Amino acid sequence: MHYDLIVIGMGLSGLMAAKTAAEAGQKVLIVGKGMGSLCLFSNTIDVLGQCPIATKMTDALSQWIKDRAEHPYSKVGLERIEEALSSFVSLFPPPYSFHAIDHMNCLLPTGMGTLRPTYLIPATMIGAASFDEGHTLIVGFEGFKDFYTHYVADRLKCRGINLPLPDPFYQELTATALARLMEKNSFRENIGREIKKQLQGETRVGFPALLGMHDPIQVKEGLEEIMGTKVFEMPILPPSVPGKRIFDRFKEWLLRKGITFLLGYPVSKATVTGKRCQGIEVQHPPVITSYSGDHFILATGRFIGGGLKADSKKIYEPVFNLPVHQPPSREGWFGRSFLGDLPHPIHQAGVLTNASFQPVDERGDVILENVWVAGSVLAHHHCIGEKSREGIEISTGYVAAKRALEK
Amino acid sequence: MKIKTEVLIIGGGATGAGISRDLALRGIPSVLVEKGDFASGASGRNHGLLHSGGRYAVSDPEAAKECIAENKILTRIAPHCIEETNGLFVSLPEDGIQFRDRFLQACDEAGIPSTLCSRDETLAWEPELHPGLLSAVKVPDGAIDPFKLILENVKDAENHGAQFFLHTEVTSLLIEGNKIRSIQAKDLATDEEFSIDASFFINATGAWVNQVLKLAGLHIGMALSKGSLLITNQRLTHRVINHCRQPSDGDIVVPNETVSILGTTSVRLQEIENFEVTPHEVSLLVQETSKMIPAIQEARLIRAYAGIRPLFQSEEKGNDRAISRGFALIDHGQRDGIKNLITITGGKLMTYRLMSEKTSDLICEKIGREMPCSTHLNPLPGASRPTGSKERLKQFLTERGEILCDCELVQRKEVEGFLEDEKFKDLQDILHRTRLAKGTCQGGFCVYRLIGVLHHSRRSGGDSNKILKGFLEERWKGIRPILWGTALKEEELIESIYKGIFNL
Repeated sequence: MHYDLIVIGMGLSGLMAAKTAAEAGQKVLIVGKGMGSLCLFSNTIDVLGQCPIATKMTDALSQWIKDRAEHPYSKVGLERIEEALSSFVSLFPPPYSFHAIDHMNCLLPTGMGTLRPTYLIPATMIGAASFDEGHTLIVGFEGFKDFYTHYVADRLKCRGINLPLPDPFYQELTATALARLMEKNSFRENIGREIKKQLQGETRVGFPALLGMHDPIQVKEGLEEIMGTKVFEMPILPPSVPGKRIFDRFKEWLLRKGITFLLGYPVSKATVTGKRCQGIEVQHPPVITSYSGDHFILATGRFIGGGLKADSKKIYEPVFNLPVHQPPSREGWFGRSFLGDLPHPIHQAGVLTNASFQPVDERGDVILENVWVAGSVLAHHHCIGEKSREGIEISTGYVAAKRALEK
Repeated sequence: MKIKTEVLIIGGGATGAGISRDLALRGIPSVLVEKGDFASGASGRNHGLLHSGGRYAVSDPEAAKECIAENKILTRIAPHCIEETNGLFVSLPEDGIQFRDRFLQACDEAGIPSTLCSRDETLAWEPELHPGLLSAVKVPDGAIDPFKLILENVKDAENHGAQFFLHTEVTSLLIEGNKIRSIQAKDLATDEEFSIDASFFINATGAWVNQVLKLAGLHIGMALSKGSLLITNQRLTHRVINHCRQPSDGDIVVPNETVSILGTTSVRLQEIENFEVTPHEVSLLVQETSKMIPAIQEARLIRAYAGIRPLFQSEEKGNDRAISRGFALIDHGQRDGIKNLITITGGKLMTYRLMSEKTSDLICEKIGREMPCSTHLNPLPGASRPTGSKERLKQFLTERGEILCDCELVQRKEVEGFLEDEKFKDLQDILHRTRLAKGTCQGGFCVYRLIGVLHHSRRSGGDSNKILKGFLEERWKGIRPILWGTALKEEELIESIYKGIFNL
C-alpha cells in the first residue's frame, strides 16, 4: 500500500504530524508500537515550565530561542510554536478544552503535594490554578495505592479524607479502573454524597486525576452539583488518565479524517535507496507487511518509546540508524547526583537535524531527503528539566509535517 | 540514661549479632551498639553465598575446612535462611582440566563432597551454561540470606536477654588505668547521648575496627578490599555457578530467590566511605561471568553494589591470636595492655558463627568461668517455619490485599505490621526488612507508596519529600553504573515521574 506520508510513532509528536498532514488532505499512515509517553506523563501541556513564573510565554520563548540556537524550539520559531499550539487546542473544543492562564505558566498541585509549573491546562484541572490554601479538601480512596491523601493534603496545608470503596472494587484498584467507575452514575453519586457529608466549609475538592476516561466534564460537573463545591484533579503516578484522553481524542479525529491507524506493531525495517526512504516493514507476527510512501516522519520518542536505544557502549537510532549526538563515552552519560542541579548529559543526546528537521550527519549534510524527525528523539533539549515535553512534541510534529508537505 | 552490662559489643554485622547470641545462650548479659542498621557493612553487601569451601580448596585449605564445617552447621541451625542449591565449578575450554584435577583432590583433602559431572549432564541441569564447557564439579554450595540470618541471631539473643541499640554511634571510650570503664554513645536519630558501663568490650566493626580503636589510641594493620557485585533481574541458573580456575574477578554467579548475583571484583581502597562501583568494574564482571553464562551479555541488570572486605594484615607486630588465615581475634590486654578490650575482624560471613564462638570463648576465659558454646546445636528461632519465594507466593494468593511493591509482591499490611511491631528510625530499616524496592524498578514506584503509607501512619518523621529525595539519591548509586539497554528505559521513566510529574 502506498501513502503520501507515513508517520512512525504514535506519541504526541506523531499524532500532531498526522493531524497536520490530514488537514492538508494527505493520505496518511500512522504506525506505532505503543501510545508513546503521552499516556505516562502528559497530564497538562508543558511548553517551558522552567522559565521564571509570571513571564509571558511568548517572551520566555523569544529569549529561549535567542539563547539556544540548537534547541528544537529555535528551529521551529516562535510563530510556528504558537500556530502548533493553536492547532492542538482547536482539537479540544469545550467543554474538555485546554487553556493558558494570562498567557503564563501557572502552578498546579501534584499527587506528591508539590506545585508544578505548566502552561496549557485541561478544564478538569483549571480549578486548582492559583491554589488557595485552607479552602480545599483533598479526597483519595482506600486501597488505591497510587495516591496518598494525607501526604498530599499535609503538604498543601489543607484537609484530606480517604473514602472506602465497596468490596468488589477493592482489589486491583488502578487509576484507569477508577476513571471508568467514575463514569457510572450510581458510583459517582455515592461518592459525591459521602464527601458532601464530610465537608467542613471547603469550597473546592481535589481528586487524583481519574475523573472519567471519556467524559470527564460530566464527572466533574456531576460531582460539583452534588457537593456544591468546585472540583479539580491532580496528576499522579503513571498511567496518565488525562494523557489517555488526549490520545483518544486524536485517534477519534484522525480515524474520522480517514487516515490509517496502525497501533501495536513495531516497524521492523526501513527500506532505503540512496538518499530516499522507499517504505517500511511492519511486523504483525507471523507476517510482515510492507508500506511504501513519498514522505516519512520519524517520531519514535526517546528511550522509553524506543526511538533511541543504548548498548553498554553507545546510543543509536534503531529505524534508520541515523547519527546520534551523544557524550563521548558511557561514563559521561549520567551525573553523580540523581536530582542534582545539572541535567544529566545524556538528555542532550538525540538525532541531529538541520533547521527543517531533516536528519543530517556531523557535517550537516542531509542523509535522507524524504524523512523528517520530530519529538523528543531530537537532540539538544532536556524536556524533563525544561518542562517542555509536550511543547516540543506538538511544535516539532506540526512543523515536520509542514516541511514534508512543502516538498 | 545510664546502662550497665557485662559485655558491650560494638558492631551489628553478622559477627556482632553472632557474639550477642552466643553470649546470651551461655547466660552472659550483653548490649550491642550499631551506628547504622544491622548488616550495614560487609555482612549485607556480599553475594549471599553459602560456601562449600570449594572456592578456597586449592588456595587456602584451612579456610576451606572451616567453610565446609560451618556449611553443615548453618544448614542445620538456619535452614530458613538458606536455599540448598548446590554449586557447580565449571571448566571451560580455555581453562583445560589441569586446575580441575587439582581442585578435585583439594576438595577431597578438605572434606568437601565433590562429584565430577559430564558436559551433557551439566547442560541438562543448567541449559544457560556455555555449551562448549568441558565438565563441572558439583559441591554443596548454596544461597544464604545474610540479613535474615542476622535478624534471626538477634531475635534469639533478645529472647535470652540481650539488648540492642541501632543507629547509635560510639563517640568516646572512658579508660581508667588498664581498663575501659564505659563508652559514650549517641543516638543518631535523636542526638541523645548516654553512657554504657561494661566489664568487657568487643570491637566487631569489620572494616571500621580502626575507627573504634582510635578512641583508645590504638591501631591495627588492616587492608580494605572493595568487592563489587551486580544483580540481574532474573534468576539465570538453579545452582551456584563458579569458574573452575584460580580465584579471580568475575568468577561466580549466585542465585538469590528470583534474581542472580554476579561477583566479584577486588580493588584495594584507601578509605572506607563513599565507595562506588565503576563502569569499568561493571564491564569486567559482565565480560567474565558471561564466559560461563553467555546470556549475561544480554541480561538486564538492576543494580550494582559493593562491600568492603576487612582483611587483617597479620604481619603486624604483637601477639594477636590469628586463629586461621581467615579471621583475627585480638586480645588488647596482651597486645596493648588494655585488659578488657577484644577486637574480632577479618573472616567472612560463612564463618561468623565460628568467629563468635572463639570470641565468646575468650570472654569466658577472661571471666574465668567455663560455659560451653551451644550456637552450633540450637536451631535459630524461625528454623521450623517454611520460607522462600514459593511460600511468599502462597501467602499472597491466600491473603490478597493492597500491594505496594508490584515487582516483589510486598503487601501494605506487611509494611504496616512492621511499623506496629518495631521501632524504626530510618526508611532503609524497612527496606532491609521487606523485599520492597528489591525488584526490577528498584523502588521507583513503590517507594512513593511506602512514603505515602508512612506519612499516613504519621511515621515518616519529618519532611516526607526530603526522605524520598534521600532514597532516590541512595538508589542512584546502585543504578548509575548499569544504565544501558532496558535499565536505561526504566530510568527515563523514573526521572520523568519524580522530576517531571512531581517536580521534585
